[in-house]
Amino acid sequence: MSTMNLDSPEETVTFEIVEKSSIKRPSVFSTFFALIKFQNLFLILLPLFYVLVKNYVDNRFRDPGTCMIASLGMLFIFAALNIRNDVNDHMSGYDRVNITHTAKPINKGWITADSASNISWILTMIATLIAVPVMYRQPEEARVIAVVTVLIFAGRLLSKNSYKNQRWGEVIFFILAGPGVISGYQVALGAGVDTEGLAFGVLWAWGIQFLVHLNNFSHILTSSQAGIKNTMTNAGFDKAKKILIGWWCAFIVLWVLYHYFYASTFWSYLTTAILIFWSIPTFIKISETSSPLGSDLAEAKQVGYRTFLLMCVLIVIEFYWYLGNKNDWFI
Amino acid sequence: MNLKIFSPKDFPAYLPKLNSLYDDLFAGGKGFRSKLVQMVSNPLGLPSETQQLLCQTIEFVHNASLLHDDLIDRSQLRRGKPAAWAKYTPEYAVLAGDYLLARVMVNLSSFGNIKLVQFTSETISDLLEGEWLQDSVVGDFFVSLEQLDRIHNLKTASLFKWCLRAPFMAAGNNDVELHRTLDEMGTILGQLFQRSDDLLDYDIRNDEGKAILGDLKSGYLNSFGAFVTRNMNRAQIDQMVKSSDLNEYYQCFAGGEKEFQEYVAKFDAVNEKMIQLYDHHLVQLEAKIQKPELVKSLKPLTEILYWRRKPKA
Repeated sequence: MSTMNLDSPEETVTFEIVEKSSIKRPSVFSTFFALIKFQNLFLILLPLFYVLVKNYVDNRFRDPGTCMIASLGMLFIFAALNIRNDVNDHMSGYDRVNITHTAKPINKGWITADSASNISWILTMIATLIAVPVMYRQPEEARVIAVVTVLIFAGRLLSKNSYKNQRWGEVIFFILAGPGVISGYQVALGAGVDTEGLAFGVLWAWGIQFLVHLNNFSHILTSSQAGIKNTMTNAGFDKAKKILIGWWCAFIVLWVLYHYFYASTFWSYLTTAILIFWSIPTFIKISETSSPLGSDLAEAKQVGYRTFLLMCVLIVIEFYWYLGNKNDWFI
Repeated sequence: MNLKIFSPKDFPAYLPKLNSLYDDLFAGGKGFRSKLVQMVSNPLGLPSETQQLLCQTIEFVHNASLLHDDLIDRSQLRRGKPAAWAKYTPEYAVLAGDYLLARVMVNLSSFGNIKLVQFTSETISDLLEGEWLQDSVVGDFFVSLEQLDRIHNLKTASLFKWCLRAPFMAAGNNDVELHRTLDEMGTILGQLFQRSDDLLDYDIRNDEGKAILGDLKSGYLNSFGAFVTRNMNRAQIDQMVKSSDLNEYYQCFAGGEKEFQEYVAKFDAVNEKMIQLYDHHLVQLEAKIQKPELVKSLKPLTEILYWRRKPKA
């Protein structure tokens, strides 16, 4: 299926009618993993790792049981939101305009939008049920959940497509993906919200938002033609490249600040140097991208994504070191 | 039909070289687009003066794009003769292209159909966007067929859409459903024409004697090239880019020329599906307008544009 004139009065969608049996479907598990975007789970697991290590090192590891239950709830709500996002992308036509190499089960006909929507509701309900004992054990968690719920619904009301594609949606997404996730874990662990956790949340959200901008940049032409509004389409091709480079530069500054206040000098210097060194190809690739349509965009996205992954690896190594130090593993 | 002169103010004789430049430009063209406009206009009963205006409009827009395109590509020849920029200077080629577009707006606005003026302006805008985008992917040998389709939809198909829709607009028929069908048919015709034209580059159905591998040598991977490179690795693509003739090009395939011909057959099969879709839209069109003679005349277009053969009687 394809469309070249989404949201215009002449919108035409071309369907190819094929035999149901001719659609190659992967296994149920593969479909489910593609649906919940299994490969992106690290976006909520790494903050969990951070919270666990940080509080263990700070001797504030008070309620690990509740934290584990909350993490389970987080997995369910993460999966539910990802599926909901795919359903909305499908209903709005966004997935027909912005064709990606990532498997989109609904678009590929592996599952109907209706079934996916039902799965999303079931997962949301499970997440809600899981939240009950968490709130019972850590009443403070009710506030975090209330704020997050309000933000999710506000994002839905504001957005036309999916809320990563609206300017205010980007702000909401920023709060949810960073400070929201960290605060949720912190409170569930009984450690309460602190400035160090919030600072990491901002840093993390800034990084994730870079990925969102990068993804939106890779669809800048098709999104613009379809009238989709986000920071990249509003800026236009040339300015968008500058914003992306500036955004990652700002990330490095935040990285330095976080490490200056909360990390050891050794790790500050080492990780910053590696991060800067690895970021150079990203800057070059983005600035050299010459067309809003060709293969350069996919390459820029790939290089940027790799830099982000390296940053995640640095965090894991650094915090593993703190953990080891606390337990005298390296003596 | 005299396409060059619609209004007495077209092409004033006091401007040096202007008339000879246009005479050269219009002399060699087949005027396919204006014939398509007539094909649609006649069954609708449009007056001959209106038909002349529509035909002039599409030919002027098309030729303006050729004037600019040849200069951008530095093509020395157009229709077997020296390109305007090479014969009359680049400055005159740019001005002549601009002048054609200006005459289009002058003559079309005097017709008084604001929807038609707006649609024509959008078509010109799409055409230029397509040219702009195409220029931005020169040298990109990893561009996908879907991405090129978007460019061709703007650059090539926009004019075909205009040919099909403008006569209905001139006749005052602005039915949304009808125009949606015509738009889709124009998209398909434009894509088919472009893909067939791209095959000429590989000497497939190349009765016109178009230069072999011309696009590839200019750094432009056309639609067939993108179709083929989908299954190639980087080393094969590097080898393909360096090909100076077809024999070298065939060597990029493990199975040589035989495998190349298999790709051509697969490409044809993909486009055959598009032709089926076009035929499906024709049935819809007939139900909407009840003009069997128009539908009958539009039916063989895919045969002419893609297969480049005369339709069977």
